[in-house]
Amino acid sequence: MRFFGSLLSLLAITPFCSASATVDDKTLKFSQLLTSNAKSGVIQLNNELYNAITTAPRNYTAVVLLTALAPQFGCQLCKDFQPEYDLLAKSWQGQHKNGDGLFFSSLDFQNGRETFMKLGLNTAPILYLFPPTVGPDADPLHHTTPKQFDFQSNRIPAEAVAHWISNNGPHKPEIVRPFNYEKLFMTLGAIFAGALILLLSFKTLKPALYSRNLWSAISLILILLFTSGHMFNHIRSVPYVANNGRGGVSYVAGGFSNQFGLETQIVAVVYAVLAFCAIALSMKMPRVADPTRQKIAILLWNAILLCGFSFLMTLFRMKNGGYPFKLPPLW
Amino acid sequence: MSLDAILKDESTKNFRSLLKVVILLTIAGAAISSRLFSVIRFESIIHEFDPWFNFRATKYLVKNGFYGFWDWFDDRTWHPLGRVTGGTLYPGLMVTSGVIYHILRFLTFPVDIRNICVLLAPGFSGLTALATYLFTKEMKDEAAGLLAAAFIGIAPGYISRSVAGSYDNEAIAIFLLMFTFYLWIKALKLGSAYWGALCALFYFYMVAAWGGYVFITNMIPLHAFVLILMGRFSPRLYVSYTSWYALGTLGSMQIPFVGFLPIRSSEHMAALGVFGLLQIVAFVDYVRSQVPSKQFQKLLWVFLVVAFMVSSAALVGLTVSGTIAPWTGRFYSLWDTGYAKIHIPIIASVSEHQPTAWPAFFFDLSMLIWLFPAGIYMLFQNLADEHVFVIIYGIMASYFAGVMVRLMLTLTPVVCVAAAIALSNIFDNYLTLHRPDAEKVAAEIAAEEKKAAEEPKKTEKKEDANVLNAVKNPEIGIFSTTSKVTVVGMFAIYLFLFVLHCTWVTSNAYSSPSVVLASRLPDGSQHIIDDYREAYYWLRKNTPEDAKIMSWWDYGYQIGGMADRTTLVDNNTWNNTHIATVGKAMASREEVAYPILRQHDVDYVLVIFGGLLGYSGDDINKFLWMIRIAEGVWPDEIKERDFFTSRGEYRVDDGATDTMKNSLMYKMSFYNYHTMFPPGQAQDRVRGVKLPAVGPTLNILEEAFTSENWIVRIYKVKDLDKLGRDHASAVAFESGKKKRKSKLGKNKVRKLRVV
Repeated sequence: MRFFGSLLSLLAITPFCSASATVDDKTLKFSQLLTSNAKSGVIQLNNELYNAITTAPRNYTAVVLLTALAPQFGCQLCKDFQPEYDLLAKSWQGQHKNGDGLFFSSLDFQNGRETFMKLGLNTAPILYLFPPTVGPDADPLHHTTPKQFDFQSNRIPAEAVAHWISNNGPHKPEIVRPFNYEKLFMTLGAIFAGALILLLSFKTLKPALYSRNLWSAISLILILLFTSGHMFNHIRSVPYVANNGRGGVSYVAGGFSNQFGLETQIVAVVYAVLAFCAIALSMKMPRVADPTRQKIAILLWNAILLCGFSFLMTLFRMKNGGYPFKLPPLW
Repeated sequence: MSLDAILKDESTKNFRSLLKVVILLTIAGAAISSRLFSVIRFESIIHEFDPWFNFRATKYLVKNGFYGFWDWFDDRTWHPLGRVTGGTLYPGLMVTSGVIYHILRFLTFPVDIRNICVLLAPGFSGLTALATYLFTKEMKDEAAGLLAAAFIGIAPGYISRSVAGSYDNEAIAIFLLMFTFYLWIKALKLGSAYWGALCALFYFYMVAAWGGYVFITNMIPLHAFVLILMGRFSPRLYVSYTSWYALGTLGSMQIPFVGFLPIRSSEHMAALGVFGLLQIVAFVDYVRSQVPSKQFQKLLWVFLVVAFMVSSAALVGLTVSGTIAPWTGRFYSLWDTGYAKIHIPIIASVSEHQPTAWPAFFFDLSMLIWLFPAGIYMLFQNLADEHVFVIIYGIMASYFAGVMVRLMLTLTPVVCVAAAIALSNIFDNYLTLHRPDAEKVAAEIAAEEKKAAEEPKKTEKKEDANVLNAVKNPEIGIFSTTSKVTVVGMFAIYLFLFVLHCTWVTSNAYSSPSVVLASRLPDGSQHIIDDYREAYYWLRKNTPEDAKIMSWWDYGYQIGGMADRTTLVDNNTWNNTHIATVGKAMASREEVAYPILRQHDVDYVLVIFGGLLGYSGDDINKFLWMIRIAEGVWPDEIKERDFFTSRGEYRVDDGATDTMKNSLMYKMSFYNYHTMFPPGQAQDRVRGVKLPAVGPTLNILEEAFTSENWIVRIYKVKDLDKLGRDHASAVAFESGKKKRKSKLGKNKVRKLRVV
């Protein structure tokens, strides 16, 4: 950052000097640039323009996005951020034709390799805000060093950037999100189509819709999902499996309040097997007409139940080392 | 066969009722006694954090009477704002203990209110067992009811919130929840306004007791709605729902804290909407029965659907326009799980609001967790109106429990009910002397097959459509005694294991008061760490009565309850800005913090430090949340990034960032700590790192008290310097150092004066 500062102060001595006439010229120039490609609201910079827009004196606020959109850089954040930034700039320009002292600009790595090198940047995106150097809103601390938007702690939405800008200057950009008619119509259409299909095929679907087997299956799947910790996976976005550090794969996460995706699926299956054993024992077995078959089946279900429960307890002991209870056969 | 006859005979009816009562009493006894671990191990003491406030409020109620309590303005918390306590709490718990206290006094039992508070939760767990028995009895039969009562009595998921000393709203709320549900089922079954009104009465009690009443407010309408969708509308449903809704809503509005919420907030709109829907459905149903024309009926159904759509649209419109308050953050975060983390860090910061990993389910419910889905499946067999309720309750509660650890509490009752139904189904089949005759059965089946072959297949298929796969064949029974003995024996072992599991969990995980910590000495004897109470009593005895204590909000209730001193923030986190102010003071440099402390009249600052003992729940570990909450309000002054090293580590040793080292929290935690160790050997046992050889200096505070194990450290805020110097130079002067020339230059001397 310090290097960057001294660099800019060096630049400040060159062409654009401190007469106020040039300041106004500069503003005019960028206003014209802005209106010439009125569509986007973002001034596309190159190396020269970057120097021009950032060097003191400024009587405007310059927001500069340094980004790398080309696919070979694989910068996901840049791609995610770009539409939000465009939206912000467009919203601003919608209300302020000539920029009114706040310019949104962006410099892509493709057009500004030199600038990136000069600034010593090896990450993107970077969002700078250069406050004015002259006028009532001048910020003497930031003549040469811009303020930087923190992508780590802030969220990407344009509102966050707008908030940041209004915290750091007189401008209060408001986001005008264009109403997504396409989505609305799509949803309405889908609902309508769904209702229509339901209505037309109600006669054929009716048995399925009223089927206890279907609804009991849905209920059980939901319950097994939730009780095996699926919501934890969803909220914490845990990995499916992890590397155990010895070249292998570990399926079970260490620690009581930690888990892997596969682990929860194993648990859900174990729960399902155990529940099915209970169902089989209480509902299916008394309906077997042949005594010998019934006896063998009962013993079989019992054995599965025992093994499943034993496995579950073993699994639990892996999570909670101090757990004292065990069940054969898996000690 | 003869035993069965004896068991079902009229003449033994009285004996059987007596047996039932004895079993229920035994269950209640087991439920209460398994919650007494902490009283036996420690003493009769209030636990944790929130219970201390409830205890304080109860004392106030007993001392000042009900109306005094109702109008209570508490100027000893949230200094200088104060809190309209009477209007911002759920008074049910305090009033319950107050009533018990006065009854006992009336009966000339001289009981201390503290003991009532400590033992209230175990006592109510006995009642919960009874309520669960009644509820399950409505689902299946008395045997299942007794099993469910036994399960809920000792299930750790419920014990976690109801051990002796855990004097919190949940202590009575789970009983009320189950009893309200029981009354609802009863009202629905009988279609009786009387039971509906009783349900409303207990709903009112529930509203008075716990914010979780919203669960009932949405469960009952959801049940009614699903019944309507299933085409099961009946006058019974109409009578029970309308009587419950009308009376219950009027009742709930009598609680000042709830007030007009039932008609103005989104959480309650489902109940209102279903109430309206029921009127329309009832009207349509009536007209249909009067007018036979088929076309007219169709028209009526269209009218019904349109009316439903229009009223839903009206609700949405009212919500958007702001007449109806949207979902509050706490409830909204249940649906949009990422919401709290972004918008309300104070909710996300509480450990019991974290999502639940699977071991927690097994830990709290053991074998019930896999009997639960089996029980739900069995309910589909008959699928009466009341069974639909348990199924919906089961699905909703398991979702909520998955999103928030805390809501395991609402899941536990339904798991116990469903598991009891599953288990009692198994026992019904295997614990009976009835034995089918193999030859007879074979003959019957042969006859039936013959019949089926003769008849056209259509009729058979029609019957099958609405029957569960598992029960397609006719029930016969279990032939072999060996099978019966094996199954019953195995399940007896599992049940035995379940009891062991529950006792072990209760004893090891849920019986610590957290105010008093226990540890084991090398010789195996128990060592009690009583730093909290030591420090709070120091405050009570050594500080002026109107002293203001600043601490992180976790300790607000305890300071109020045990030290009886005014606090800045407490566990009733109603004012985020105020909490953020405290967070900012803790996270700032001394020069920045001092004006904040002065502006809030702070006399003492209290921090929890676990470094010496290895007590991980200390303030340095909570510090990140203080920073985050402060950053939410002052994003320019407090930045989380500054507390992490450039490699993104959170460190307290030599490598800690300057911001960290200069923060008030860091300084207060480690002040003078290095003097405990040989030079350069200072060790933080929580974070497991070696600390810098030179400890931090404190200019604006002086150490007032440090407890035996250094867990609680209290600092006194210095007054302004009498000679008008800033504190740093005053301290430097007193320690005999020569005044150095300021490096910063004249015009950058930091200002300390407070306006």
